[in-house]
Amino acid sequence: MVNAIFIIVIGLGTAFLLGLLRETWRHTAYAVMLAALAVMAWIAVRWLLFFAVDGAAPVDILTAGTAPPFAINLRLGITEAVLMVLVIVCGLLSAVYMKESLLRLGRRAMSVLLVFIMALCGIIMTRDLFNLFVFFELVVIATAGLILLSENKQALTAGFKYLIISQMVSIFLLIGIIFTYHTTGTLNIDGMAGTSADMLKGAGSLAFFLMLMAVLIEAKPFPANGWALDIYESAHPAFSALFSAAMAGAAAVYAVDKLLLITGPEWLPAVTAIGLISFVAANLLALAQSSDRRTLGYSSVGQVGLILVVIGQRDILGDQYLYIAGGILLSHAIAKAGLYWISGLLSQRDLTAWSALRGHPLLIFAFISFIAMLSGLPPFPSFYAKWELFMALAVEGRLWIMGFILFGALLEASYLFRWFGYILKRETAEEHKDAQILSLAPHKLVVILTAVVVGWGLAYVWGEISVYSNLLYALPLLFALSFVLLDWLPAWIKNTVVIAGMVAYFVVTYPLYDPLQLIFAVIFLLGGAVIFLASYHAHGRRIGFYPSAMLMFAGLSMLIVAEDSFHFFAAWEFLTIGSYFLIIRGKHSEPHALSYLVFSLGGAFLILAGFVVAAQGVQLFNLESLSQVAAPLAPWVFLLLAIGFMTKTAVMGLHIWLPGAHAEAETDVSPMVSGILLKAGLFGIMILLMNMGKQQLYGVELTYIMLWIGALSAFLGNLMAAFQEDAKRLLAYSSIGQMGYALFGLALMNQLGWMMAMMFVINHYIYKSMLFLSVGGVAKRTGTREMYQMGGLIALMPLSFIAVLIGIIAVSGVPPLSGFGGRWIFYNAIMSSEYRLPMILIFLSGPIAFLYLFRLIHTIFLGQLKDEHRKLKEAPFWILLPQMIYVAALMVFALVPGLALRKVDAYLNPFFTDHGLNWEGLTITSDYGYWSPVSIMIVIAVIFGVLFAWLLFVNRKAQKVKQFNIVYSAERPFRPETTHFAWNFYAPYRKAMGFLMQPLVTRFWAAVTDLLHTLADLVRRFYTGNGQTYAIQLLAFVIIVYLFKMEF
Amino acid sequence: MVTIAMLTGFILILMGLYGALTNHNILRMIVSFSVANTGVNIVLVAVGYIHGRTAPILNEAVPAAEAAARIIDPVPQALVLTAIVIGLGITTLMLAYAYKLYEMKGSLDISKFSELKW
Amino acid sequence: MIKNFIVLLFLFGLGMIFSALLLGYTPDSELNLTGRYYAEHTAQDLGAANIVTAIIVTYRGLDTLGEVTVLFLTAAIVGMLLSTGAGKGKSLQRKLSQSGELLTTGSHLLVPLILLLGAYVFINGHLTPGGGFQGGAIIASAILLILLTDPLYRFSHQLISIVESISGLIFLALGVLGIFFAGGFLDNRILPVGELGSLFSAGAIPIIYSLVGLKVGAEFSSMLVNFSETEDS
Repeated sequence: MVNAIFIIVIGLGTAFLLGLLRETWRHTAYAVMLAALAVMAWIAVRWLLFFAVDGAAPVDILTAGTAPPFAINLRLGITEAVLMVLVIVCGLLSAVYMKESLLRLGRRAMSVLLVFIMALCGIIMTRDLFNLFVFFELVVIATAGLILLSENKQALTAGFKYLIISQMVSIFLLIGIIFTYHTTGTLNIDGMAGTSADMLKGAGSLAFFLMLMAVLIEAKPFPANGWALDIYESAHPAFSALFSAAMAGAAAVYAVDKLLLITGPEWLPAVTAIGLISFVAANLLALAQSSDRRTLGYSSVGQVGLILVVIGQRDILGDQYLYIAGGILLSHAIAKAGLYWISGLLSQRDLTAWSALRGHPLLIFAFISFIAMLSGLPPFPSFYAKWELFMALAVEGRLWIMGFILFGALLEASYLFRWFGYILKRETAEEHKDAQILSLAPHKLVVILTAVVVGWGLAYVWGEISVYSNLLYALPLLFALSFVLLDWLPAWIKNTVVIAGMVAYFVVTYPLYDPLQLIFAVIFLLGGAVIFLASYHAHGRRIGFYPSAMLMFAGLSMLIVAEDSFHFFAAWEFLTIGSYFLIIRGKHSEPHALSYLVFSLGGAFLILAGFVVAAQGVQLFNLESLSQVAAPLAPWVFLLLAIGFMTKTAVMGLHIWLPGAHAEAETDVSPMVSGILLKAGLFGIMILLMNMGKQQLYGVELTYIMLWIGALSAFLGNLMAAFQEDAKRLLAYSSIGQMGYALFGLALMNQLGWMMAMMFVINHYIYKSMLFLSVGGVAKRTGTREMYQMGGLIALMPLSFIAVLIGIIAVSGVPPLSGFGGRWIFYNAIMSSEYRLPMILIFLSGPIAFLYLFRLIHTIFLGQLKDEHRKLKEAPFWILLPQMIYVAALMVFALVPGLALRKVDAYLNPFFTDHGLNWEGLTITSDYGYWSPVSIMIVIAVIFGVLFAWLLFVNRKAQKVKQFNIVYSAERPFRPETTHFAWNFYAPYRKAMGFLMQPLVTRFWAAVTDLLHTLADLVRRFYTGNGQTYAIQLLAFVIIVYLFKMEF
Repeated sequence: MVTIAMLTGFILILMGLYGALTNHNILRMIVSFSVANTGVNIVLVAVGYIHGRTAPILNEAVPAAEAAARIIDPVPQALVLTAIVIGLGITTLMLAYAYKLYEMKGSLDISKFSELKW
Repeated sequence: MIKNFIVLLFLFGLGMIFSALLLGYTPDSELNLTGRYYAEHTAQDLGAANIVTAIIVTYRGLDTLGEVTVLFLTAAIVGMLLSTGAGKGKSLQRKLSQSGELLTTGSHLLVPLILLLGAYVFINGHLTPGGGFQGGAIIASAILLILLTDPLYRFSHQLISIVESISGLIFLALGVLGIFFAGGFLDNRILPVGELGSLFSAGAIPIIYSLVGLKVGAEFSSMLVNFSETEDS
């Protein structure tokens, strides 16, 4: 094995060697530099493999032939090897990336880059305090040199600010080092750690404090980091990548980690606090940024803060420490370097300028991978790492740390995904229209793609090391990911593969499901396949659609079979992200998709918190074990999980994301996210209730609160649906109401309630998918979703009409269709429970549902045909086909509901004391009466047939009449639509009940968002841009930490 | 004696920092930092001093066998040399930067160079 | 004013930390573990009379390598900063008055002596106070004197950078030889330790320190030259 000191020797030697070359031999110098970096990387990788594969023990590298502490020694273990590979490879890639700039500045700049990388390796390996100082100063000076690579003139000022700061830092560091040396008699870190704890009391402790502060400042904690943000913003992007990934994210934090060896656990809480404040504050301030590189700078500060938190918590992390810290650190490094590299392709600095990436699927995939790594989404290392971190925090009861991290992570996800929205949706600003914003140099692309590949590779490695099974082995996920590679195929081929795949997967896994899971599996997999039939109508390649959709379905199919909390949560994240990508495909869905994502991630974080609090350190925590969670924690766990799941079902209060997200989605996406995705939340609530049952918090029955929430959602959801003008929004609000019913049923906590919820699960899937498809088809033909602009379409689109008719019969719960069955079970369930007050609400919401449903069919299909619609054709075949299948399914399900429900009934029996229904042949009986679907169907069919025949008979002489052009008093109304009878159709009801429609919830969340943004905008003004102010802030930071530390 | 040296060093550091944090002129800031660095170096050397001993150089006056009892701690001396050289490097760089900054704006007022902010 | 007050306030805080350090400081009466080791072992192990030099060049040789690199970097960056840019050739034409006869003659007389002194200081660094950094600085002061005499005198950048690079490379190479022929990187015992106090003693220390002297001299000179060239007309 090559002595690792050669990493330093080669770096330095090549730097000196370049001085011998003529100034003009720039390409030679560049080649020599790359070769040197490659050899350094090779050595580091060899060592890494040696430690990782052969499990070798760390080696000490002595210098001067003398043992430490009398000479400087270096150490190389697996941590050092990983960090050095990171630093050198990142350096090599950045060097490739910066080719033009390096050639422009010549051999001296290349020498400086080599020394920069070498010094970072030195910081990582050295075990000597003063040597650490020397390497840090080398990094400072090299940074001041590499800043010149930037084409931004302002970079010079940033470099000077850094020099000012480093003067301050070196004063603190030197004073700290010399007094620590005086107290301990050594400069060796391990030697100091070995001295007795008493030595570092009093003055020794102060000396250590100064040293720690100096090194911490190199990690750029908030608020002593204005200079770093300026560097991030103005330096060459590839250097910013290095500065963030290798300098702050690897070398500086590892130096902090080494220093903390000296004092043991004493300083860990302080480091945690500093890291936590940095993480939350940086992510908050990033909300107010508009420059891409500065945003990345803030994000970098935040991520390094998170790593500091992990370092500060290492006393409780045990063996998992390196796994957790490494997961977060490497994810951050790759993602941040990758994003900086992408930013180098763009010539505009505004976040919205990134819309130039649109049309480059590969770069968008890279971007998605990077922001997923930063946000800690599966399957990337940061996901495993955060999970383990929270497990440890929950065991120790350090929940407030977890809370802060989750809050910061949510902020981070919101600006990262907002940015993603800009890429997909924003138009390029007018003045840049002609300018070439994006320039794709092949070598730069190779660098970026390497980062993507490495990121996915690490996802695999982290999955392999984890105690859980590797997420990348999950068949559905692999299926979804394969579409990333297949995306060049035409849509219809992919669609066929998708349908075949989903059906085949269902057939194969069929024996695995219990009856409850089976119902969900049928809806998710077969139901999904049916909706995909509608996707045949799309032409071209439909880039990005299939990977996203399949990611969602992969999540769904993994969710139902998940046995432990880890896999459940991973599946939950997959389906959340997949559905987000689906939703954002809609034309105007950028803001709605973002609010969907923020709410969903917020909900997911609550679920995560609930699970880890429940698990109390048990790694493979079975979902069934939720029933054994002990008393003081149980209600809290219940609360966290319940709110998390209810975010997904969009209960009143957490619903504001739903209408926009569902209404603005594409025609075939709306049924997927409405008919299918909402069921995931219900599934979660079922799992929760089944295992935890009724919980009480401060004497309040939590299921009772849930009951009320369900009732309110049903009532208000329906009411709001009634007042919509937009047909798809109407359907979306109606979903809130329907989910309210289902929640109500579940919260009743009796068997009938659950039966009814299951009825709703099935029915809602069928009719909501159907209605969204037919309305989508109509909207496609008419080019509008506003109902008053339609009318009289019955003759032109009869099949769509039939689908809507059957759909609304089913939804409204009148005989003979399955909706009635749902209602029937429902009323039975309510009768057998004692909750009268919410019951009234539920009863009231029935007729309200009828209002909006009536409007749907009346306004769209009846009445007079608009002139411009005279030549409309029926909706496309592929959109109609699934609707017809649904019509058939509704009929069958209406006739024989026992087909699905009987088994569930039997399955639910052991969970509840009351008995369910009696299934005798085709009749179902309860305590209050009986329901015979077939006879009802016959009765209704006869009545309908007689009435219809009579109508035909009476109207046999009817004549068609022409429409008249009605002019509005010879005046053009200000808003023409207000004169249409269908506009504001329920004005009287609005007068009566409109006060219930005040958008209080929307206003509340808008106020929260505004508050955060205002706060961010206010606080960031703290960074005045004046180098001197930064230095004063740094001094203040040190003094304030000192005062805090002395206080406690 | 050590205390006086150390006190001097600390006072120089504080004076230097005060100068560096209150003067707007970049050159004055650089000079102030040099003062502070000098203070640091004095503190460094002062720490190694042992009363009544001599420099850590072996010769007729200090034979190798008696060295341990005759010389002061050589380590801070070695460190201070490194610290001086590094401080000099940074000062040089700051001066070169100051030259370029002046070229950019025609001014040496640090508050003029605050385009990058927030 | 408020700003100055705030600065004073925080510096008062820093002063508190310093005074706590000062009050908590008890001067050693004996050498500590590390110092004792050097006092007792340097002579027989490394053969250097100047213990500080032994520490700098060998025991903490990695620091010194870093230090040399600091200067190397600084010289390179100053070169990069000052050789590029719009100001080149645009700075005001200053009429430099002719240096006086006294200065010119004096510097012609002194420069060789200064160079000699510098070489003496770094060659004897392992025996007497002094060494590569001091010697290098003295050499650079000769260059400074030349530049003071004739601000428009031009040195060959190529020469300076070759001296710099070659001495740095040999330093590294000697260090690497230590890995193969002695106890480790930068071990000076690749050459015989020799007799304590003689010029040819202390193994590779005199060679390394001379190289450091050359390198430091070249680097300082390079910085000075670069700064002086900003006076270009």
